[in-house]
Amino acid sequence: MHETPTREIFWNIRHIWLTYALLVPMVVAFALGVWNHVRRWRAGKPIERTDNWQERLRGFFVDAVGQDQLRSGDQQAGLFHILLSWGFVILFIGTTVVFIQADLRIPIMHGWFYLIFQSLILDVFGLGAIVGLAVALYRRYVAKVPRLTHGLWQDGFLLASMLIILITGFLVEGLRIVATSDPWGSWSPVGLATGRALAALGIREYGTQLAVHRFLWWFHMLVSYVFVGYIPFSKMMHLFTSPASIFTRNLQPKGRLEPLDVENTEVLGVKTLRDFDWKDLLDLDACTECGRCQAVCPAYAVGKPLNPKMLILDMRRQLTEEIGGVPWAKRELEPRPIIGTSIEPETLWSCTTCHACVTACPVEIEHVAKIVDLRRFQVMEEAELPETAQAAVQGIEDRGHPFRGAQASRRDWYADLPYVRELAQVGQAEYLFWVGCAVAFNERAQKIARAMAKIMHTAHLDFAVLGDEETCTGDPARRIGNEYLYEMMARQNIETLNNYGVKKIVTTCPHCFNTIKNEYPDFGGNYKVIHHSQLIRDLLAEGRLPLEPGKLQELEKVTYHDPCYLGRYNDEYDAPRAVVDALGVERVEMARSRQKGFCCGAGGGRYWMDDEPGKRINVERAREVATSGAQAVCTACPFCMLMMEDGLRTVATEQGTTERPVATRDLAELVAEALAEAAGAREGEAGAALGA
Amino acid sequence: MHIAVCIKQILDPEISPRAFKIDPVRKAADPGTASLVIGPFDLNALEVAIQLKERHGGQVTALTLGSDKAKEALRRALAMGADQAVLIDETQVSAKEPSVTARVLAAAIRKLDPVDLVLTGRQSGEWDFGQVGALLAEELGMPFVPFVPRLDVAGNGLRLEREADGGVVVVEAPRPCVASVTNANDNVPRLPKVKDIMMANRKPITVYGPGELGLGAAEVGDEANRLEVLDLFIPEVKSECEFIEGEDGAEKGANLARKLVERKVI
Amino acid sequence: MNIVVIGWGGDGHAPSAAVRELLGGARRLAQQSGGQVIGAALGGAAKAATGMIEYGADRVLIVDHPALAELDAEAYAAAAHVVCDQAGDALVLVPGDRLGWEVAPRLAHRLAAGLVTDCLAVDWEGGRFVMTKPVYGGKAMAKLAARTATQVALVRARAMEPLEPQTGRAGDVEALNVNLSPGRVKLLERKQEETQGQVRLEDAPVVVSGGRGLGGPEPFRMLEEIAQLVGGAVGASLAAVDAGWISPQHQVGQTGKSVAPDLYIAVGISGASQHVAGMSNSKTIVAINKDPEAPIFRVAHIGVVGDYKEVLPAFVAELRKIKGA
Ligand SMILES: Cc1cc2nc3c(=O)[nH]c(=O)nc-3n(C[C@H](O)[C@H](O)[C@H](O)COP(=O)(O)OP(=O)(O)OC[C@H]3O[C@@H](n4cnc5c(N)ncnc54)[C@H](O)[C@@H]3O)c2cc1C
Ligand SMILES: Cc1cc2nc3c(=O)[nH]c(=O)nc-3n(C[C@H](O)[C@H](O)[C@H](O)COP(=O)(O)OP(=O)(O)OC[C@H]3O[C@@H](n4cnc5c(N)ncnc54)[C@H](O)[C@@H]3O)c2cc1C
Ligand code: SF4
Ligand code: SF4
Repeated sequence: MHETPTREIFWNIRHIWLTYALLVPMVVAFALGVWNHVRRWRAGKPIERTDNWQERLRGFFVDAVGQDQLRSGDQQAGLFHILLSWGFVILFIGTTVVFIQADLRIPIMHGWFYLIFQSLILDVFGLGAIVGLAVALYRRYVAKVPRLTHGLWQDGFLLASMLIILITGFLVEGLRIVATSDPWGSWSPVGLATGRALAALGIREYGTQLAVHRFLWWFHMLVSYVFVGYIPFSKMMHLFTSPASIFTRNLQPKGRLEPLDVENTEVLGVKTLRDFDWKDLLDLDACTECGRCQAVCPAYAVGKPLNPKMLILDMRRQLTEEIGGVPWAKRELEPRPIIGTSIEPETLWSCTTCHACVTACPVEIEHVAKIVDLRRFQVMEEAELPETAQAAVQGIEDRGHPFRGAQASRRDWYADLPYVRELAQVGQAEYLFWVGCAVAFNERAQKIARAMAKIMHTAHLDFAVLGDEETCTGDPARRIGNEYLYEMMARQNIETLNNYGVKKIVTTCPHCFNTIKNEYPDFGGNYKVIHHSQLIRDLLAEGRLPLEPGKLQELEKVTYHDPCYLGRYNDEYDAPRAVVDALGVERVEMARSRQKGFCCGAGGGRYWMDDEPGKRINVERAREVATSGAQAVCTACPFCMLMMEDGLRTVATEQGTTERPVATRDLAELVAEALAEAAGAREGEAGAALGA
Repeated sequence: MHIAVCIKQILDPEISPRAFKIDPVRKAADPGTASLVIGPFDLNALEVAIQLKERHGGQVTALTLGSDKAKEALRRALAMGADQAVLIDETQVSAKEPSVTARVLAAAIRKLDPVDLVLTGRQSGEWDFGQVGALLAEELGMPFVPFVPRLDVAGNGLRLEREADGGVVVVEAPRPCVASVTNANDNVPRLPKVKDIMMANRKPITVYGPGELGLGAAEVGDEANRLEVLDLFIPEVKSECEFIEGEDGAEKGANLARKLVERKVI
Repeated sequence: MNIVVIGWGGDGHAPSAAVRELLGGARRLAQQSGGQVIGAALGGAAKAATGMIEYGADRVLIVDHPALAELDAEAYAAAAHVVCDQAGDALVLVPGDRLGWEVAPRLAHRLAAGLVTDCLAVDWEGGRFVMTKPVYGGKAMAKLAARTATQVALVRARAMEPLEPQTGRAGDVEALNVNLSPGRVKLLERKQEETQGQVRLEDAPVVVSGGRGLGGPEPFRMLEEIAQLVGGAVGASLAAVDAGWISPQHQVGQTGKSVAPDLYIAVGISGASQHVAGMSNSKTIVAINKDPEAPIFRVAHIGVVGDYKEVLPAFVAELRKIKGA
């Protein structure tokens, strides 16, 4: 009888038809639930997100199947999530196999396949899932991990049902094995162990075994059905929405915001949920409430009224209120403005667009684009924005730069540097040095430009600046939400650049770098844009910058602060580090670095907005800098530099001194300082870069 | 109610002293790359006019004597809520001092539909003569109220607050009249919505030359100017700031008190 | 050429401070240019007619009329016009107070005269009067001359020096009989300046001013406390006024009050030229600003780089200690 390894399906179970009868409501509930989600997403506007499917599929496999990003954020949690999700997927396949065998009558459940997959693998993965569940429960209710404190009731219910399904599954299997004295029982080690344990507990009688088995079998099945039918109505829906979100993710450069046809758009920006595109609404449903975004958000960390996870969930709640969380919900509510209904303006304006949330999100939810869309409406349609932000925007419009009351002019910093020439004088140059407003107008930051000019001069590069012809790239206006002004600035700059036939642009400002590189192409500006860290790295590699070892002696250790717009936005983590390493100083890393680098607080127009004392992101970062053990923090962005200088001043006060505990230096300043004397002295401009 | 608001496009008053240069030939500021903006008090005046229109209905006409570039200023006025815009082309006008400016503006205002109120800024923010409002009143034969932070309709006339020596007084003036507006916290110019900015770009701007206003060389030629500029120069400021030392803000504060007492200024 | 000094206000026999200054300036100018100094004693200043002679006028013409009881600019302009008509071609000096800003253009229009407002100086150079006024928010100075024979200068307070009064100085005093009609603008109500028992901003020996950097209305209480402690008054920048933190009467600067106290303390004020225009003549200027590069430090004599929230409380505490209060 038992020549080929297999088992008898539905062995102890009668009235099998009942399972089919019960299947109907389950499938109906499930289908209605899924259809309701689709209905919610269809309220959004169209957007093309199925192009380039090879790349999409690749992402799908890496991030949905392999859960790469999930693991990269929080190793431990990611691992247990894999155990849990893969456990259920494998068990689901196991169930499907049964279905194929029983209903399609294709006999596959025998032989080695039965032993290895249907018995052993299923058992192992089932056990893994239980471990995953146990850890999930532990992290929520015992360890109380802060990012998981939302929705504990629902989580508890879902986790408990899954646990019940798994445990009853093993109990049923175990009872079957001991009751039938299954000769291949040892291929199902967990089941076998469970059965033996039950026997040891007294369920030894064959009749009792049958009765208990039958009861548990039905119980297991019922709970499973209810659970599956409930999926679309719970956050378990992420089983489907997360892969969908990952598949339809944004494939554009991360630093690029979608342009808006200001002239011909009905509603500028997003007012109601219906102004979002369907992917945005899918995002709302796809959120797994994992809280990874919350854990990395700098605004949240310092107590500002912004939590990227709640941002998504609050909008999800509004979507449910307006379109319904259940298919039989009453007809749709009049769409309401999002700001004021589910999101407060202060929340919107707290974001630094640092991209930490998007980077951390395992399911490719795009918080920043949504925040900018909402800002666009506030700014362009309502003219409602913080006064300080308004002053910055007004400055860009009136004077071509956001620094109200700036005392300098764009030409000040090179007034005494004969080798800095303007394109208007020389006509053309290999490199255009794009200076940027922060560098041009701030006396401290001007030293970055002087240092960079000295470096390029030392390396005999053919470079020039635009001088007064440069204006703000428009990045602050765009991130604040004034797309109209951004487009004006972009077009004006592109015209200037194209008139000179500029091909290569070097800049020390990651914000300029990002927008010229990733966003100007949308407006007809195509250049090779190089961040100064990259240029310096290459020049060093080519041996064109003679460094004098030991010149930076007083700086034993240097820590590098990743600018968001260089790191997370443009994946450049290594060039600046390579440069620091070449300087003969020891580089120490802060806990939050590279992808996890902590924002300085300046992005998204926040540089110009007022911060309540005690809720300053730069101070939080400066504290981390101060405990890094470094004598200097190396920045590669003028905003980061200014924010660190300010934050470190506060830290000094906290420590009861006036001396900043750590010096702040731009990468270019460090390099210029380390240049060999002879090289630097070529035209007398030695060391002037580092007066500070 | 028809309100005419005179606005002037001026050199950005917030450019830094260091960036400020003088063109010695023209004896005027060298605009360099500094931008042109609407005078701050003219913006206050616009805001007052638009608020009045919002409360009582009517129309706002923005006028400027300026170059083609001044159309930008008018566009902004339209975006803020003005209904019409009139540019008086300055190419044929030599308005080097306020009396000519006022004469030209008065002629343009006479050409409009009858006005109930003419608003100007208290001073332009550039040459700062602060005369155009009063001169307009003289030209148009209207009463004049200067330094007005806020005003409202009262019966057939207007009720205006004005800053006077020794405090604020409330006055009543018949319509039509001229008022010059000063800044207050309730006339801070609104930020136009982008929609309105785009709309403003499509609205027409009426352009007059002096001929159309019936003004000849005697009224607006070089000779009509009653003042001449002999010299324009940048005054020297020497910096001699002594900085108070201290471990932190509090210590500096205490040291400051001691320093002031020591210097006998308190 | 004659020089007419338009006078109003004043307290009984003594002309107002502004008129005394103008008379002093006119006297000095007349020494170079020749001609008489003619005082116009309008309205309440009629009582000060002989006082005007003592302070330097050669001749005083009085116009007193019920229409001049209130500071009615239309009536005053008409009265001044009458006096100027008597004086022939002349330089007319008008006090640079609020009434002057209103009267001078009307007068100039009626005289078809060139008018320079906000004069910091009037000099006799090369056979004509040259007037210096700040332009472009104080970033530049312009020297202007009128092409008209009669010319009007509105002179800023404290721009000219009064002379020592000479009691018994001889001079004609003549009352003109004119019929004036009251202006069309009617006074309804006078809102007193809220000085709250403190000194008037313009007269205060110490002015403590706050700007946008204060961030809200409450910190102005702290400035008031300091002002009270040292017998001073509170000032503000335009930005603070626009924000609604303090009333416009406190605004110091080109378009606010012009002050020249012994001590001016600027807290959270960046030092825009338009603000500096109203306080640069202060004897000692103290700036408290958290931005070491703020332009206010270029005009300040004593600077404190720091957050006012830390600096001021300690400053007050120390001050109280020293003053034993
Ligand atoms: C050598 C020289 C050349 C000059 N060339 C020119 C020139 O080519 N074009 C030119 O416009 N100015 C020119 N000016 C400036 C001109 O003399 C004054 O700006 C003008 O007479 C008004 O004086 P103000 O700016 O002091 O106005 P104020 O009397 O201070 O102005 C008060 C208010 O009047 C209104 N107002 C003033 N001017 C205008 C205007 N032009 N249009 C609408 N409303 C107005 C505004 O509401 C303003 O707030 C020149 C000046 C000099 C010295
Ligand atoms: C025609 C014209 C006339 C004008 N007339 C006047 C006038 O009469 N009076 C006048 O004041 N302005 C006038 N202005 C406006 C002037 O140009 C400036 O805009 C204004 O003076 C700025 O005010 P502020 O210094 O308070 O603000 P800001 O320029 O914004 O400066 C605020 C300062 O506070 C500092 N700060 C911030 N926080 C703190 C802190 N916690 N502790 C210490 N410091 C801090 C900042 O570093 C900054 O320097 C005029 C402008 C024009 C065009
Ligand atoms: S972009 Fe940065 S600041 Fe904004 S929500 Fe995301 S993590 Fe927070
Ligand atoms: S948005 Fe993304 S990271 Fe944030 S809770 Fe949702 S799934 Fe997690």
